[in-house]
Amino acid sequence: MNVREIEAAALDWVWAHRDRFALGDDALAADGQVNRTWKPLGELTQVCASVARCTPPGDPLHTRVCELLDFAWQQTHRGELFPLMQTLEPFATYPLEVYAAFASAGLRHPGYEASAAVLTRTRGWRLTEQYPTRRLGVLEAERRSGIDPHGDVPRALGRTWLGGLPEPWTFERAAGYALTHVVFHLTDWGRTTRGVPADLADYLLHWLPPWLDTCLDARMWDLSCELLAVAASLPRPPEPAVLKDAWQRVAAAQTTSGAIPEEGAAQDAAGADPGEDPYDFTDCYHSTLMAAFAAALATAAAARPPDVRHAARHAGQGAPG
Amino acid sequence: MEQSSTSALLQGTVLDLASDVVSALRSGDHVRAGSTLTGGGAGEGVARAAVRVLGADTLLPSVLLRIPPDPGQLAVFKDAVAAHPPRDEAAPTVVWSHWAMTRALRRAEQPLTTPPADEPDAEPDARWLDGAGWQFLTHQLAVLAPLALPGEECAVTRVARSRPVDVARGFVRAVRRRDWQQAAGAGRWLTLLDGVPDTLGLEAGLDFVRLMGGSDPRVALQLEAARLMPAGVLL
Repeated sequence: MNVREIEAAALDWVWAHRDRFALGDDALAADGQVNRTWKPLGELTQVCASVARCTPPGDPLHTRVCELLDFAWQQTHRGELFPLMQTLEPFATYPLEVYAAFASAGLRHPGYEASAAVLTRTRGWRLTEQYPTRRLGVLEAERRSGIDPHGDVPRALGRTWLGGLPEPWTFERAAGYALTHVVFHLTDWGRTTRGVPADLADYLLHWLPPWLDTCLDARMWDLSCELLAVAASLPRPPEPAVLKDAWQRVAAAQTTSGAIPEEGAAQDAAGADPGEDPYDFTDCYHSTLMAAFAAALATAAAARPPDVRHAARHAGQGAPG
Repeated sequence: MEQSSTSALLQGTVLDLASDVVSALRSGDHVRAGSTLTGGGAGEGVARAAVRVLGADTLLPSVLLRIPPDPGQLAVFKDAVAAHPPRDEAAPTVVWSHWAMTRALRRAEQPLTTPPADEPDAEPDARWLDGAGWQFLTHQLAVLAPLALPGEECAVTRVARSRPVDVARGFVRAVRRRDWQQAAGAGRWLTLLDGVPDTLGLEAGLDFVRLMGGSDPRVALQLEAARLMPAGVLL
């Protein structure tokens, strides 16, 4: 089992299905389904931006994700659609959140950033009601888009599930997705591992193994891949045996086309002889993206200097981290 | 048919016996706590088999509360130890469970005033836990929860003491899997270990296990043991 092979296969699937990420005529419709239009495109962009950063120019995977980034940027008419989206829903946060993924890849639209800055200065924007994890994401989206963040990251972090260092046995699906995104926001999607405060890093090193193990047992592939991305976003990685076991199980869930289903239910529906590409786009695109993302981060983390990697031993049996 | 009814009878007897132990641990008085072993309800063979399942924990009230065991119970326990020595090819947990029972029996029979006699049974080794993954380790320790006693010194407790984070991870896993018996057994071990991360929230975790799985007397037994651990006497 080779983590890079999982990454390459997942990106093959994404490339083969890139048209499914394309924005349709309903992308700017008043009753448009954001979760089926802008959200997948933003997720594709974010993952490709991260993979591009983790791979050197000239690497075929780097070339592949840069082509996908071009494709995604073209879908937004090179950013022109963002001001239009903003006109339709000025105080919605998702346009800026999607835009931030492009901005992190260096794909920017100065006009949109200037107009967004007008809105983010209002009290109304600051008081948008949303989950604490989403709040953290908006702060990061502002920062990545060249806008002064409207609030304070440590304060926003303190209101999240992960930021409160909850009892690890209270972990459930919703908490899992919240915590992975907190880490993604704190680290700029794996770019700056030092963004994770020391107490959070120790906490995650202690408890990622049982969370990963139980999510994999439950065939929650999407959340498992997100947890693997978290594992690769920490200043020190978890024990190699934990990661090896998890990646082997993810590899076993990957089809020959590179797709990884979100959950085991899709595998059950596909039957015993599922064929090469058995899943609906909506049942596998996110988990496949997350597998590529986690694999890219893991490959980059493994290449970090040995003195950093060996420090992981200190996360062992009760020793201070 | 006969086999399944025997199995059901044994399972029921194990639960009754565990309930007796729980009552004794809660009340501090095994005489009024129940009499599954001495009441004549279960046949001798079934009673002995149930004692084997519960292992050394059958005598836990006398260990943790320093109350002398009921002579009738002690006699059945002694029979159970003598009647089923582990076979050569027995699993390590079976060998250790027998060792723990032998040790508990010797302690129960020894007046506290006399010096400890030589230990006739050599301690088994814990090599099967060398390099064990945290999942397997926790499972095996939960099976051997009767060894989790204050001041107990043996190869298995030394392994547990060297891996507090792994046992804590196993506790989290067991709760997530709704395996309350394993969670309670692991939780009992954790009350004895240094180096358990504070973020585990063990006390609240044990309360949660009680809330979700405490109606099973085998779970309740481990939780009662865990509750009494900090105040437990040194062996």
